[in-house]
Amino acid sequence: MSSIAASVQAGIRLSRFRLAEFGALLFFTLVMGLPIIFLLLSSLNVAPPGKEAAFGLANWSRAFSDPGTLSALWMSFLLSVTHLVPGMILSVMMAWLIARTDMPGRNLIEFLCWFGYFVPDFPLVLAWILLLDPSFGFLNTVAAALPFVQGPLFNPYSFWGIVWVHLATGGVWFKVMLLTPIFRRLGAALEEAGRVAGASSLTVLWRISLPALLPAILAVAALSFIRGLESFNTELLLGTPVGIYVYATRIYDYTRHDPPAFGEATALGSVFLLVLAVLAFFYQRRLKGKKFTVVTGQGYSTLRARLGKWKYVALGGCLLYFAVMMALPLSFLLLGSLMRRYGFFNLRSPFSLIHWQNLLTDPLFFLSLKNSLVIAAATALASVALYSTVGYLLASRKVRSAPVLELLCWLPWVVPGILMSLGLLWMFLATPLRSVLYGSVWGIALALTIKESPVGTQAFKAAFLQLGADLEEAARVSGASWRYTYRRILVPLVAPVAATVGLISFGSALTSISTPVLLYSARSRPLAILLMEYSFSGEVERAAALGLLITAIVSVMMLLGRKVVLPLISRDEG
Amino acid sequence: MIKPALELLEVTKSYGDSTAVERMSFALRPGEFFTLLGPSGCGKTTTLRLVAGLEEPEAGEILLNGVPIASPKLGIFLPPDKRRMGMVFQSYAIWPHMTVFENVAFPLRVRGEAAQSLRQKVSEALDLVGLSGFEQRGATELSGGQQQRVALARALVYTPTILLLDEPLSNLDAKLREQMRAELRALQRRLNLSVLYVTHDQSEAMTLSDRIAVVRQGKLEQIGSPVEIYERPATTFVGDFLGRTVVLEGTVRKSEQSIFVEFPGGDGRLSIGEEQRGSFAEGETVRVVSRPEDIQILPIGPAAPNQLKATVNEVAYLGDRLEYTVGACGRTLVLVAGKQERHAAGAEIRLAFDPARLTLLPLEK
Repeated sequence: MSSIAASVQAGIRLSRFRLAEFGALLFFTLVMGLPIIFLLLSSLNVAPPGKEAAFGLANWSRAFSDPGTLSALWMSFLLSVTHLVPGMILSVMMAWLIARTDMPGRNLIEFLCWFGYFVPDFPLVLAWILLLDPSFGFLNTVAAALPFVQGPLFNPYSFWGIVWVHLATGGVWFKVMLLTPIFRRLGAALEEAGRVAGASSLTVLWRISLPALLPAILAVAALSFIRGLESFNTELLLGTPVGIYVYATRIYDYTRHDPPAFGEATALGSVFLLVLAVLAFFYQRRLKGKKFTVVTGQGYSTLRARLGKWKYVALGGCLLYFAVMMALPLSFLLLGSLMRRYGFFNLRSPFSLIHWQNLLTDPLFFLSLKNSLVIAAATALASVALYSTVGYLLASRKVRSAPVLELLCWLPWVVPGILMSLGLLWMFLATPLRSVLYGSVWGIALALTIKESPVGTQAFKAAFLQLGADLEEAARVSGASWRYTYRRILVPLVAPVAATVGLISFGSALTSISTPVLLYSARSRPLAILLMEYSFSGEVERAAALGLLITAIVSVMMLLGRKVVLPLISRDEG
Repeated sequence: MIKPALELLEVTKSYGDSTAVERMSFALRPGEFFTLLGPSGCGKTTTLRLVAGLEEPEAGEILLNGVPIASPKLGIFLPPDKRRMGMVFQSYAIWPHMTVFENVAFPLRVRGEAAQSLRQKVSEALDLVGLSGFEQRGATELSGGQQQRVALARALVYTPTILLLDEPLSNLDAKLREQMRAELRALQRRLNLSVLYVTHDQSEAMTLSDRIAVVRQGKLEQIGSPVEIYERPATTFVGDFLGRTVVLEGTVRKSEQSIFVEFPGGDGRLSIGEEQRGSFAEGETVRVVSRPEDIQILPIGPAAPNQLKATVNEVAYLGDRLEYTVGACGRTLVLVAGKQERHAAGAEIRLAFDPARLTLLPLEK
């Protein structure tokens, strides 16, 4: 073996690794950093898009001289806090029940949470309108029959209506999904030591598990809070009609002006970035020096708290929650799609398939279906390809810029979807990529790929970390090149994770509204946007039918994926 | 002189500010069982990984059969897959998505072995480690001992230049460990393998090795045969790490014919053997190191050469023998003795030292 050949090989091996790292950094900086810079710049640009730039503070002063702006920001904050508190309590309890107790049917509950996460929220909001609307809502009609009730009992078009619908849609499932693995991974010895020391399982939960997990729980709360701030769909459907504006609907409103007030929209977006920076700063300060090592400790606990006869109460509670929050609205969505005129049971023939027929004969529907499938498939493939690389880089511990890369991967969940879309929109418009990305399915797929980067990156990172370096090193010492090792050892071992990430990306891409809402055009309109348009043009029944259809597509995918996903999440049940 | 199978020359590796391996040099002869012994975190595993090519040295040179495979100075770094080595990891690193057969066949597949001879070689390797018939077993359905054998078969299947073993026995229970130790030694002899072995277990190192290198904080303390390093530890650390030691401090006295050590407050002196005299000067304070089993406990009697007076402080009954805690020359020593002659606590005794088994060491800071 000549020494020159050896040295050349060493050079290539190292630089290939650096190249991947550099590529990932460049990509995230481009798609995350650039839009934000564009956003800041364009908020100062007082000329309309496409015209010569002229800088000034006019956008800012116009946006903030509008009293609606500040009240929208305040409303965002208030709503997010109000549904965060009960949502956290419920999801911590549910995660504990799933991961740490002998509650029967805990696997079912966990699966239902996954399912709930994938049920698109927009149709659910529609369903709650069908249930609670003051004039035709079913529950109001039922309540009116009671002697002591005067006028409509429920009103979804209100602050509390929005809070309720949030709890029913993403609010709890999302947190349970994040919290359950955290509860599961709590080092076994910590809880066992507590039990041996004489504490009951509830005391252990209260005095040991929760304090030990506090940093992780706080992190989930912070993330949920920020996701609450960016919430768009519910507020658009329930708040806008009665003049309750939040920050995201406000931005959307600006872009819908004629002509679009992009300047004011970007100014408002920039303010939100400042708010996020302040939040991130305090979060960092709060968690500084606190280690998560306890969470990733070795030896997962197999010790489950015995609930005695309470375990049936717990299961009953969980099932009731699912019945009210998921089964009930979904049934009424079905009912709504099958009624000639929703809420009018006294028509001659109240039930009809006319809305399904209208939907399936609408040429827009087929175009949108095709767009959605192309977008979702592209997003899934791109996510798997991109985040397996990034996850591998982060797990390898050889990356010099790991903290920066990690931060960049988390940004898309921190920056609201509508804000990111706005930034990307400006980037698409202002760069040579315009012809490829602006208003096309590829632009939407790119935005959606970026949006789900935390899921993909963290899942792959965890998978690669779990593999341990020696499996890879053993192959290298056995004589396999890096590429061969990757193909024969690493890829087969992370295949289940790749399938999961692909499914999640596919599902989110199919159901997201706030990310594509500013990026689509007539030729690239996805199903979720079509659903939004139907419900705004008063075709609630057809919207219900489409919502059900999307839910059905996602459910079939989930059921197919269950074989892959569920063994994955319950592998450490032992 | 025979060309070494593996040679490390002043190899250095650090992580950030901490130096894991510092100017490490040793040579492994062909067919030799060479052990790196030291406490955890001493840099022995890093040394093994440097040899395997899983880490790159910052300085120094690693030569395989006289050819440099890693040398920052020459800009050479041969990646691990080109070194033709075999390695057994502490965790065994059995690939969970493959069967036993596929695990063992992997190194041959990588090298494009023909199907027929591949099957033959795999079954030979499995035979060698006593796992014939387990071919189609899933790798994760095996016990710890079986996984260890699979890892060994995988490392041996293509006749590696060197076999690297990273604490391969530490995850096994005591009985299995002893059995595997014997099998490993027999296998190495039979195949005349050059083995670089890493362990923190001194009895494992003693029984298996042709030579042992004791490593401490990234540096070599001593290289030698098990007998050499046990009987003649170069430092008190080596002496302590390889078993119990008895250490006394005294002053060197020289006369025409002999050299001996005097102890403060003691009534005796110990003469020092020919090869142990070294370069100690008259009046220098030194440490005298002995193994407890080389010291005989005698009842009090007239003074004799190489004996020191002592008092029994405590006696502990260990079943097959007795453990005495004695005071001698102002120090407390722990000694063991048979049960034939017993000495009660408080008894005056004499300790008889074997001059041939004493080691003189300079005072360490």
